[in-house]
Amino acid sequence: MTLARNLDALVAYGRMATRRMYIYRFNVIMMIVLTGITIYLLTLLWKAAYGDRTEVDGIPLQSMLVYLTIANLQLRFLSPEMDQDIQERIREGQIGFDLNRPVGYPGQLVAGAAGQMIGLLPMLVVAVPIAFVAGELRPPASVEEGFAYLASLVLAWLVAVQMNLLIGLVSFWTLEMTGFRMMYRLIGNFATGALIPLWFMPDLLRSIVQLLPFQAIAFVPVSIYVGEPATGGIWSALALQAFWAVVMVLVIQLVWRRAFRHTVIQGG
Amino acid sequence: MATVAQRISILLALAGASLRSEFQYRANAVSAVISGMIYQLTGFIAVWIIVARFNEIGGWSLAEITFLYGMRLTSHGIFYACFSQLFEADRVMVTGEYDRYLLRPMPPLLQLFTRKLRVNCFGDLIGGLLLLGFASAGVDVAWSPQTVFYLVLAVTGGALVEGAVQIMLGSLSFRFLQTMSLRVTVNEVFNLYGNYPFTIFPKALEYLLTFALPVAFVAFFPASVVLEREDGLHVAPWLAVIAPLVGVGLFLVALRVWRRQSRHYQSSGH
Repeated sequence: MTLARNLDALVAYGRMATRRMYIYRFNVIMMIVLTGITIYLLTLLWKAAYGDRTEVDGIPLQSMLVYLTIANLQLRFLSPEMDQDIQERIREGQIGFDLNRPVGYPGQLVAGAAGQMIGLLPMLVVAVPIAFVAGELRPPASVEEGFAYLASLVLAWLVAVQMNLLIGLVSFWTLEMTGFRMMYRLIGNFATGALIPLWFMPDLLRSIVQLLPFQAIAFVPVSIYVGEPATGGIWSALALQAFWAVVMVLVIQLVWRRAFRHTVIQGG
Repeated sequence: MATVAQRISILLALAGASLRSEFQYRANAVSAVISGMIYQLTGFIAVWIIVARFNEIGGWSLAEITFLYGMRLTSHGIFYACFSQLFEADRVMVTGEYDRYLLRPMPPLLQLFTRKLRVNCFGDLIGGLLLLGFASAGVDVAWSPQTVFYLVLAVTGGALVEGAVQIMLGSLSFRFLQTMSLRVTVNEVFNLYGNYPFTIFPKALEYLLTFALPVAFVAFFPASVVLEREDGLHVAPWLAVIAPLVGVGLFLVALRVWRRQSRHYQSSGH
């Protein structure tokens, strides 16, 4: 019965997060507009880079533009901000309440992130037309790739949420993490492949990025969408993402156990 | 009425105070500067990778684009050092902090500017100067005292252009109170589109980013002049040459707009 009860509680968390998203809808729309402005610039930049060529390194310009549009749009939706929430809760000492709840803290957070994601989905009504105007949207390379992309998106979400959670857990050791978080964002922006897909990275950079989990958030799913899967095949691309999703689960379990013991409840 | 000299000395004292207050937390300030610089440089690295891979973009070489990027970033650093508090205008008006500015014998706008210093502007400045330094060796320019002087004027003018636009948008807060999202969006357009040769833009956008929003005057026009790339311009070359003057002109207009709009200030009371 505990599982069922926990599930109810988690769904409630999710609903709360969904409602919170609705309150911030204006901010979200603004972020989508900014994403549109970025997509348009990237489109112009890469069109200029291609010049008269219709294909570079086996990647047609068309696929490249669709890649940029979807990757950046997707990244806007897959950018959870739990790390800030965690830091806030610890700073204000409210983490004590969170830890006292019968549902585990990481579970609360993931449920919240899921609710947030659901709250964001209606925003696609705004985001897709903006992306369509700013960049280039085409249907996926084939029906099969379309379905694979959807599966890949779910895995991408799992990796994105868990990585963000992991960064958030650092707050249990130190609250001074502005610089740290900034570094993470920078590396993240780059290594997801949303600005420069891995195809066009210099060899050394690519081989580093291939060892990191960030590519599972943008490059892997979107390269499936445009029919140029990262690892050469759809299944191996999905397997790569699944691998990272599982690794993150294990790492978080390990880190969480230590973080919990390290908890400092301020004030209260 | 205070003389100009007195005013400048008060201004410097206020600026010094805000600088000192930021460096009270030295480690924090230093890390803000460094992360600001890294943030800007990674933006550049993305461009660098693309240009290095494709040799040129819009007819501009890597060195030329680096130069343009460096000019824009330096201008932005100066803009941010002097005018970062414009982004706080909403709060200053909503909380009624502006009341205090009206009581002191100093133009309210200057008091807003010196309210606080955002030290990460030094990251932009250092990053921009580094790029300019690297690029100036690589570009095909016969450096003379005149070109260096023009460059200094241009970078300052660029900061004034960005400042003017943000002052005008900020003055809307007197009427509408919440204009933050508009200002952030416009700032982002300057940050993204100002760094690239306009030759990669469609014609309509080139004109839009020249006459509707003066992005071209921040760095692209003066960089074209220094690099002698006037051939690709979508306007008469003389307009590009006077970019620093345009900055001064726009700034003076912006000050007038601010003063006019400030009549609509409604104190929230204390």
